[in-house]
Amino acid sequence: MIAPSELEAPDHKAIDSTKPEPIIALKDIIKSYTMGGVEVLAIRGISLIVERGEFVAIMGTSGSGKSTLMNIVGCLDVPTSGHYRLDGVNIRHLDDLALSRIRNKKIGFVFQGFNLIPRMSAIHNVELPMTYSGVKPAERRKRALVALDMVGLGDRLSHFSSELSGGQQQRVAIARAMCTNPSLILADEPTGNLDSRSSAELMSLFTGLHDQGRTIVMITHEPDIAAYASRVVVLRDGEIVSDRPQGTSSAVSYELSPSGRYSFGDSGVES
Amino acid sequence: MASAFGNLVMAVRGIGSNWLRTLLTMLGVLIGVASVIVLLAIGTGSSQSIEKSIESLGSNTLTVFSGASSSSSSGTKIRNSTLNTASVSALSNSLNDPDVKSVSPVVTTSVTATYNGSSYSTSVIGSTASYLSAENYTVSAGRSISHADVADRAQVIDIGTSVASALFATGSDPLGKQIQLGSSEFTVVGLLASKGSSGLSNQDAVAIAPYTAVQDQLTGESASFSELLVQGKTPATLSLAESEVESTLASLNDTTVANLPFTVIDSASLLSTATSSSKTFTALLGWVAAVSLLVGAIGVMNIMLVTVTERTREIGIRKAIGARRRVILTQFLIESTVISFLGGIFGAFAGILVSHFKIDGVTPVLASYSIPLALGVAVSVGIVAGFYPAHRAASLRPIDALRYE
Ligand SMILES: Nc1ncnc2c1ncn2[C@@H]1O[C@H](COP(=O)(O)OP(=O)(O)O)[C@@H](O)[C@H]1O
Ligand SMILES: [Mg+2]
Repeated sequence: MIAPSELEAPDHKAIDSTKPEPIIALKDIIKSYTMGGVEVLAIRGISLIVERGEFVAIMGTSGSGKSTLMNIVGCLDVPTSGHYRLDGVNIRHLDDLALSRIRNKKIGFVFQGFNLIPRMSAIHNVELPMTYSGVKPAERRKRALVALDMVGLGDRLSHFSSELSGGQQQRVAIARAMCTNPSLILADEPTGNLDSRSSAELMSLFTGLHDQGRTIVMITHEPDIAAYASRVVVLRDGEIVSDRPQGTSSAVSYELSPSGRYSFGDSGVES
Repeated sequence: MASAFGNLVMAVRGIGSNWLRTLLTMLGVLIGVASVIVLLAIGTGSSQSIEKSIESLGSNTLTVFSGASSSSSSGTKIRNSTLNTASVSALSNSLNDPDVKSVSPVVTTSVTATYNGSSYSTSVIGSTASYLSAENYTVSAGRSISHADVADRAQVIDIGTSVASALFATGSDPLGKQIQLGSSEFTVVGLLASKGSSGLSNQDAVAIAPYTAVQDQLTGESASFSELLVQGKTPATLSLAESEVESTLASLNDTTVANLPFTVIDSASLLSTATSSSKTFTALLGWVAAVSLLVGAIGVMNIMLVTVTERTREIGIRKAIGARRRVILTQFLIESTVISFLGGIFGAFAGILVSHFKIDGVTPVLASYSIPLALGVAVSVGIVAGFYPAHRAASLRPIDALRYE
């Protein structure tokens, strides 16, 4: 796990010091879009805590706000209102530079559409986040090789994304997400464009990462994919309608309580 | 933070994604840079040749034209004053004009010279023997026209190399041959050594004959000359010679120097006028070229805007995985700079190449400053034209860029 960094807010110590901070702490998050003068509520008041080491599946019908939620969690978008602490850091007033550093160091993204950069080989794609964080070229290369080896693509280093199958591209994306050693891996329908065999391969990779102790938040609408997770959160119309642990893996038991153990009221965050 | 080299590699990769488009964009810059270099070379070349041709007129000659210079003409009673043989002998008097070496009357006309079926249009100068030395003409074969020829109204002629090569087959000797000028025949008695061509005129496309014969045969009898060529003793005393000429002509025509019905021009002032006007000409050409460079710059900006739009998604991905603003900005700036710089390099080569050819009678001379100037401008064009598109790319919100289809 990444060491506490300079990004941590000074109000960190106000939180109950006997427990580690949750990796994700969302409180009363609202996100609205204005389209043609009409206000659309994509997220209508979501509070959610995700502890370190959890593997959370977020389910829901299309348009229920899953991607919107993930974009907020991934610091790609900002909520209209509400509080969000990521790994103990209140991201509310961070500027573009700080947010890009958080995305770079703390989060690894895996998208439905793979989102590799075309005209760049697999290994260059994997190296790119490390390039942005200033890792030295030799170290970069070493770590990228390890990551690609881990996802079983050690023999496809110089292939371009157009020369790789969907499943292979998604594995490159996982290697890219992993190699910066992020606290959190966010995946938005990672199997959405894959056949069932590639999906199973990919899920075994996620399971492996989870077993190593990584925190994973994965959006899916397929129940058999959600079955790999240790906890399933269901959204409908921008609200959480169900949140339950499942399976026998190292799931952290969690009770849905709106007031939450991690109260923002006594954490020094303005309300 | 990506290294500068990594950025460069990325930029080149980005450029490589659409070679044809990139090449066409570079072509815009290439043409701009090449035209800056070529047009400045033409300007420099023509001003150098103008200077050379004026220098070859002789650095110590004065030309007297009939007609007052504009500054002294107004309000002056126009006399029936002409340049004639009396003027020539008055100016030749070394008592009045101690600093004048020679005075040559000049009658010019243009005719078609023919010999044995070949014809050539040439200017014919009717003058005296002293004209040749005043104008720095030397005879490479045969003899110069002489004072006796002038007195005898002899139909003899010295011809320039261009005339000789146009009329006579190579190897044949023009000396002693009769060439046809208009309806009269002149005997070639001398060949003029080549003075080379200039931006103004081909100084080898001339034929020099006694002015008496030219008046008899070509221009018709006249007591007056269109101009007199006065050669001073030395370049240093040319201004003395000029005032002597002016006062002699004034007293001869019963007037004052201020109201002199003639214009006296010395070759130095002709040179400075020509130099300043050719500088203006060069600057004008430079501006024309700058406009084409501007068009190239707009092309770069246009392509960079298209590139940014096309690669919006890529920008989104880069931002999602942690590229900060400055990295994106630098990436696109480097890309546009590389395009313009390469365009500039190729343009410099093209410009240097084209400058080796004679263009419209002018031999271009590469201006030493034009190449660094053009390349510097090309790089600035890349940075300036790339800045707005790069800034747009860098300012995209990651979520908007990622959602872009
Ligand atoms: N950029 C946007 N502008 C306007 N409306 C949006 C935008 N993004 C999402 N929405 C709306 O928000 C709701 C939730 O969308 P989304 O989070 O993409 O759903 P899901 O991923 O669960 O299918 C939808 O009604 C969608 O139309
Ligand atoms: Mg979605």
